Amino acid sequence: MKLDLPLHCQILLNGLTDPACLRRYCDSDWELLVRMARRVKLLGRLGLLVKEYGIWDQVPPRITTQMASALVQVEKLQQLNRWELNRVLWALNDLDTSIIALKGVAYTLAEIPYASGRLSIDLDLLVPQSDLADIESLLMVKGWKHRPLSAYDEHYYRVWSHEIPPLVHAERETEVDIHHTLIPLTSRLKINPELLFDTAIPVNNSTIRLLNPVDMVIHCAINLFQNNELANDLRDLLDLHDLMVFFSARTIDFWTQLIDRSNQLKLSRAVFYSLHFSQLIFKTPVPKKVPVRLHARPGRLKLWIMNRLVPLALFPQHPDKPMLSASLARLLMYLRSHLIRMPLYILVPHLAYKSVRMIRFKSRKSRS
Amino acid sequence: MVVNQIPFEEFRMLIRRQGLRVAIGPFNVCIHTSYKPLIEQLYLLYSHYRIVQDEIAEFHVRIVTERSLRNPFKRNVRFLLDGQSPFESFPQEQALAALEWGINLAIAVRVNHLLLLHSAVVEKNGHVILFPAWPGSGKTTLCTVLSYHGFRLFSDEFGLMDTQRQLFLPIPRLMPLKNESIAVIRNYLPDIVMGRPIPNTQKGTVAHVRPPEKSILLSKHTCKARWIIFPKWIADTSVKIEAISDAEAFMMLASNAFNYEALGAAGFGAVANLIRSCDCFKLVYSDFDSVMEVLHQLTNET
Repeated sequence: MKLDLPLHCQILLNGLTDPACLRRYCDSDWELLVRMARRVKLLGRLGLLVKEYGIWDQVPPRITTQMASALVQVEKLQQLNRWELNRVLWALNDLDTSIIALKGVAYTLAEIPYASGRLSIDLDLLVPQSDLADIESLLMVKGWKHRPLSAYDEHYYRVWSHEIPPLVHAERETEVDIHHTLIPLTSRLKINPELLFDTAIPVNNSTIRLLNPVDMVIHCAINLFQNNELANDLRDLLDLHDLMVFFSARTIDFWTQLIDRSNQLKLSRAVFYSLHFSQLIFKTPVPKKVPVRLHARPGRLKLWIMNRLVPLALFPQHPDKPMLSASLARLLMYLRSHLIRMPLYILVPHLAYKSVRMIRFKSRKSRS
Repeated sequence: MVVNQIPFEEFRMLIRRQGLRVAIGPFNVCIHTSYKPLIEQLYLLYSHYRIVQDEIAEFHVRIVTERSLRNPFKRNVRFLLDGQSPFESFPQEQALAALEWGINLAIAVRVNHLLLLHSAVVEKNGHVILFPAWPGSGKTTLCTVLSYHGFRLFSDEFGLMDTQRQLFLPIPRLMPLKNESIAVIRNYLPDIVMGRPIPNTQKGTVAHVRPPEKSILLSKHTCKARWIIFPKWIADTSVKIEAISDAEAFMMLASNAFNYEALGAAGFGAVANLIRSCDCFKLVYSDFDSVMEVLHQLTNET
């Protein structure tokens, strides 16, 4: 399968994957590249790459100032995240529990390449369901608060979601998302989070733990192809690529472990798509025999459709000329993500509620 | 090429089709809109800006019109930054205010390669005076008067500082006068170009003053700071300027900056150096003549 991308997507992809081509970029290519990269939270990453390629001084100054600005922002948010983690661990110090860092902070702790260029806004943690109530009340005693939520949203988080409503400390702004499993409870797929805790990996000089490498990859995969809507999620697919490149080079039987674990957790569909699209878009060196050993591979027609829709949804729209086909792809991916996440009897009222709220919100906006 | 060197029709075509690119201080801004009343206002108020169609623009902004969902007969305008809408929509009469606030927001949230102090900035005799904002201090009003009386306008809003070279960068933008200041300035500076007053905005009535041509022309000339003055307008007081401690000035300056915290150690070092190299004052005034006398005296002492 060959990837057939519109020109503006090509400019972004080449900029992220092929340093040599950046030397040939003209001013308008650079301008578009920066706008697109910013849209998918990859401007800091681009800045890191340009530095690494050693071409920073050859790039137009109006571009380097923007990349420098983005790197300052990335650095600041990472610092805030690390500090928030430090405070959470301090607050929960007396509690005998197990806390796993997810996503951005985890990638930094695991020293994944380019993690230092990742724009991470929230702090994501995984805790055992049995300790969830204690952890939440302890954090609230020590200054964290929930943002005001509607009764519906509260219900959504408490009954259907894989995380509790976000917590923010009164003196700070970083949002703490506490998960008790990795997939919404409404989804047909179920996983046993204990399996994740059993194999979690300790971090030097800290009580925080990380998912083991294959679970980290699987978590990234299910976020992309099970939990989220894919629109502008190119950054997350690149995370996945980075993780696989890094771990497969360090662990001899990484791919076998990944297949077995995906099959064991019954998450092999999301993992299949992840391998497929990471390979298709970022040329991740996935051995040929790997995808075929995953149990839940999609059929030919499904894959044909996904091949057409997923790249259009993952890549950002052209900032001045949004394409109808990409909007449609996003809409379909949005519906797909909801269909696989919720049964219809929850989904239909849910989408109705969201639409009504959006219209109300919009008209309230336009009144003021 | 400057905006007022092209005919209105050409200006209108540019801003409607490929987007008008103008150099505003160190940044190039690409503006798109088809909303004719806004195009007319911009033709007048942006008339001294340099057109830079062939250069990279850091900011791509748009004002689009849309129908109100609640009242389909009413039109609103929406500000877009790279196609994204950071604000609620505005009544169409407020298009210019929406554009100006939007550009300010874009600068404030994106720029981190410079330290962004929240301060009016003017230059005299090759040195910069900072007037950091106190809420209701009237910094824009004071800044307008000074920039039309022998001081060069850098900005009424942003103290843009290159922290490595300790230099301030001019970014002369429209100066939005609020409420009573509009009539005050009309009386005091009857000849300056000002946009129509826009009533009922979030900040009351706003009218935008066009920056002096010379300030825009010289907007590549950077300067070091020499004075930091915290101004306060109090009705019927006589003008008074008194020195304040470095520590007090530091706290007021740093706590009111846009990206001081994001810059971390670099921000701390820059503000510390800045305070060390400047004389810091508090200024209370009520009339422009006497405040200008004091400032001319201060700046000519060197």
